[in-house]
Amino acid sequence: MLKLFESEIQNIDSLSSEQIAVDVQSLSIQLNNKQVLTDISMRIPKHLTTALIGQSGCGKTTLLNSLNRMNELNAHYSYSGKVLMDGKDIYNKKENVARLRTRVGMVFQRPNPFPMSIYENVCFGLKIQGLNERRKLDDAVENALRSAALWGEVNDRLFDSALTLSGGQQQRLMIARALALEPEILLLDEPTSALDPLTTLHIEELINDLKKRCTIIIVTHNMQQAARVSDYAAFIHQGELVEFSDSDSLFTMPAKKQTEDYITGRYG
Amino acid sequence: MARTKLNHQQKHAFSSIISGFAAASLLIILVSLIGFVLIRGASFFWPMTIYEVTTQDNSTGLSTEKYEISSLDLQDLQSNLNVRISAQFVDDTLALPFVSITQAKNVYQIALSNGAIKLGAFSSIHTPLGKTTDLQDYKPARDAVNTLIDELSQIQMQHLAIIHRTLADYDRSNVAQNAPARIKVMQEFDKWQRKTDALNMQLKQYYIVFTDAQTSTFRVYLRDLDRWFKPNEMGGLEKLGYMVDRFAQFLGDSPKQAATSGGVFPALFGTVLLVMLMAVIVAPLGIMAAIYLHEYAPNNMATSFIRISISNMAGVPSVVYGVFGLGFFVYVIGGSIDQLFYSDALPTPTCGTPGLVWAALTMALLTLPVVIVSTEEGLRRVPDGLRSGAYALGATKFEAIIKTVAPIASPGMITGLILAVARAAGEVAPLILVGAVKFAPSLPVDGEFPFVHLERQFMHLGVFIYDGAFHNQTNTQGSSMMFASCLLLLLIVFALNLFAIIVRNNLKKRYVRQ
Repeated sequence: MLKLFESEIQNIDSLSSEQIAVDVQSLSIQLNNKQVLTDISMRIPKHLTTALIGQSGCGKTTLLNSLNRMNELNAHYSYSGKVLMDGKDIYNKKENVARLRTRVGMVFQRPNPFPMSIYENVCFGLKIQGLNERRKLDDAVENALRSAALWGEVNDRLFDSALTLSGGQQQRLMIARALALEPEILLLDEPTSALDPLTTLHIEELINDLKKRCTIIIVTHNMQQAARVSDYAAFIHQGELVEFSDSDSLFTMPAKKQTEDYITGRYG
Repeated sequence: MARTKLNHQQKHAFSSIISGFAAASLLIILVSLIGFVLIRGASFFWPMTIYEVTTQDNSTGLSTEKYEISSLDLQDLQSNLNVRISAQFVDDTLALPFVSITQAKNVYQIALSNGAIKLGAFSSIHTPLGKTTDLQDYKPARDAVNTLIDELSQIQMQHLAIIHRTLADYDRSNVAQNAPARIKVMQEFDKWQRKTDALNMQLKQYYIVFTDAQTSTFRVYLRDLDRWFKPNEMGGLEKLGYMVDRFAQFLGDSPKQAATSGGVFPALFGTVLLVMLMAVIVAPLGIMAAIYLHEYAPNNMATSFIRISISNMAGVPSVVYGVFGLGFFVYVIGGSIDQLFYSDALPTPTCGTPGLVWAALTMALLTLPVVIVSTEEGLRRVPDGLRSGAYALGATKFEAIIKTVAPIASPGMITGLILAVARAAGEVAPLILVGAVKFAPSLPVDGEFPFVHLERQFMHLGVFIYDGAFHNQTNTQGSSMMFASCLLLLLIVFALNLFAIIVRNNLKKRYVRQ
């Protein structure tokens, strides 16, 4: 079984374009007149987990945010380059940003449930999409909560405030909220940094399950976590992509000295 | 003098005494303010004890104010024995002409429907059936009178009013004085008039005879009698019941006897209507402005200039708003409307005169900064994480604001609105300029098309109190009316604040992280 799983992991360069979810092409980003990302090019494979690792402030989160154009909420922001999804540039002027964000879901570092019921939280995105049919909403909420492994814990109190949930439950609710829109890509920005080890384990198991449904890109500080959950990993250092390969190679025999230093803890 | 050094603990005690003293004196001021208004206001509703005053020359009088009669008023007392007397008492020694002041027994306080109050002992009830001294006969007599009054008002409404309208129509269309139609109507009119006169004659047969302190008698027609009771014989509970009754009447009645008795209904109604109109204008304007400033406006010089202007607006004296309202809303806007739509009626203005709508607009302008500032305060408290959360789920900026930001900021909005309402309820100076009057002949809402007359002048509690302060200072009843209105205003503001706190706490419980 393990061998079968491993055999899926191919060299990135050998992947065909159908196997690629996001194709980042020489992307550079400036925030507040500071160069944050410089000439990043990477092809992120479909239905697998890709981890972004690197020091604090190296630009991992900015890279993640650039995949659903969340950077634009910052007033002082400029970019160059392309991000292709299904062969189309998401920075195209005609691109509907709100629509893009339903295709590319996102979970933040700290759980940020809306001060509404659990049910309302999960169907927030769907309601914005204009779905108002009670039956369909009920089904979608149940599906999303089941996928986020939260259904069993909350099915009897769907209409309680989401704020009554524990931190780990809230973070799974955030995942359910994103999954309810059935995104093609799920961006996770250090989803477990505010959680205890056991809850972290829960979420990691969940991430492995979710691969079947969508491409997952996760930013993490935790090297073990990156090794555990990811199929591919990218090491970013001072806004530049240093190394991007399958996790096994990256964590066992990194090609670059900088990567080796980082993962062995010599800096960072 | 030897200098004593305070040790640390003493210093601490000293500073807490100083600050505690400040806090305590604030509390005392607040309590005494409320207590004063409460006592003076409530005494307006409390049935006063009636005293019998005997003077040196053996003339007697009844009064509800024991110690407020000076020798100067003696003549007044003698000439007008049954009128409630009020004057300032200067010194006990000056009360020489009085031989005795005792609590009167079996004396009624008689409140007439025109607001006047008389004092006297019951003597007899007169009906067409004859004279009786049995108080049991009051009820059937009262019922009979009520039936007659109902009949009378029915004639007024169903027949005489129509005839008056028809005659007015004839006058307008120049129907000749001796035209057959007019003569027919006049005959009809005479018929009903005669009936009315007959009913009035019948009503005059029902009266009660009272005896005043000097044993002379006076009549009170049942038609004019509002209520009569013996305050000296009432128990505490009865007095309390009377007080509640009186308070209800105060809320529902119009001012009578030059605003010394009766109620404040028109002023209360005007205040509530003004405040509602103002809220309807200021809420969307203020909330939208705050949302624009906080969510949309770029962070630059222009925005901070607008913010500074708004905080300065809150500090502009309210009378300046009144002058602006008069000069701009009434004269410019109202005047232009008159020229455009009511030019036939000029030079008599239709809209270009102070009225409710202009007052509401002026108050909305005056309270706008309050609403903007507290809404912005509420918006500032919304965590950014919620905004990005909404965006990440495909919400546009507008959707994110409507669905997540605005509900969480709603406690702030409500707070601002209630503050604005409380301010408008108590404001006087600008209102006098733009439409509040001390007596308005009709309410701004009535049965006449189009039912809501926003161009009319209106009465306002604040203005009513302001006006009450100019009544004769020695007239305790009159100043009590002012205190009673003051108490009512205080109650309204407290109730609004309480309401605001409850709403805010409920919203907070719903929308803000515990």
